Amino acid sequence: MANVKFMNPFVEAAAEVLAKEAGATVERGTLSLQKSSMTSDQITVLLSLVGQVQGVVLYGLSIETALKLVSKMMGQEFTEFDNLAQSGVAELGNVITGCATVKLSKEGFDAEISPPTLVQGEGIQISTLDFPRIVVQLKTEMGDITVHLALRESPPGSESGKNYVPIAIQMK
Amino acid sequence: MKVQYLIPFVEAAYEVLKAEVNIPMQRGDLSLDKGAYITDDVTVIISLVGDIEGIVFYGFSNEAALGIASSMLGENLSEMNGLAQSGIAELGNVITGRASVKLSKSGFQSTISPPTMLLGKGATISTLDFPRVVVPLTSNMGRITIHLALREALRQGANAALLKVPEAPGLKDTPGKDS
Repeated sequence: MANVKFMNPFVEAAAEVLAKEAGATVERGTLSLQKSSMTSDQITVLLSLVGQVQGVVLYGLSIETALKLVSKMMGQEFTEFDNLAQSGVAELGNVITGCATVKLSKEGFDAEISPPTLVQGEGIQISTLDFPRIVVQLKTEMGDITVHLALRESPPGSESGKNYVPIAIQMK
Repeated sequence: MKVQYLIPFVEAAYEVLKAEVNIPMQRGDLSLDKGAYITDDVTVIISLVGDIEGIVFYGFSNEAALGIASSMLGENLSEMNGLAQSGIAELGNVITGRASVKLSKSGFQSTISPPTMLLGKGATISTLDFPRVVVPLTSNMGRITIHLALREALRQGANAALLKVPEAPGLKDTPGKDS
């Protein structure tokens, strides 16, 4: 069961991060719940969450939007979706998700995020299987970003919810 | 990437495929790939988070995926429908889960994410700064390729948000000072 309470942290995080990194104003568009597999946008950034909340977060955007965002982020004009641009978009997904998990942890759900993966290629089917997805459209002046949240609370007593042990780091 | 992360996956894949589908697998030559991965017909994506972090892809040709799913479920499947997808995703889940248990025995605790399925050939998946070790497995069912993009976690950066902030010793020890 997808949970709507997980949505707001992501929308807030996206708005904050996009405003800060790319100077974009974000407006929330349509919201829907999808159960079938999604057809990918030109670019999809994929991250997983593990912990008290588990699942997958997908950010879909067009190459045009990605290039505009990255150009703003790095203060340099990008015309081609090269390695640096890919890294920039993936990092944006990483920062938004990281920021959202901090917000989630304030509400009592600790989760860790995986490194981002970038999927390129339109019309590929991405399925999150038994996770229904909350789909939020984020409108910015640089184009739309679609956020897919396939998240659920980890079942109580499940391993993934429990085996998180706070780590101690030795400072040098 | 160190070989010690790789062996658990190869072992787990071999054991699970043998137990679930009863097909023996031959391991092909390993290679290290720094470029993006061009997807096969069916791809299962699972992330690892913890002492070892990164992403594992299981790429299947359509025949291999259908053959394995049919054999797992004991039913003849002719297309990658929901049931077949679920079966293949579960296979990836079981292999990765088993590999993570093996890894934890050698002292690396990691948690795995739920699987994501990618259907469609020719998409590009980039793991960015993670180089991938490619393990091809061949069987009479068709080709299966395991891609491992893993590294030991950079704890300081990755989990900074989850660290406990040490309390300043002066604050607790001197309650009576001001009163």
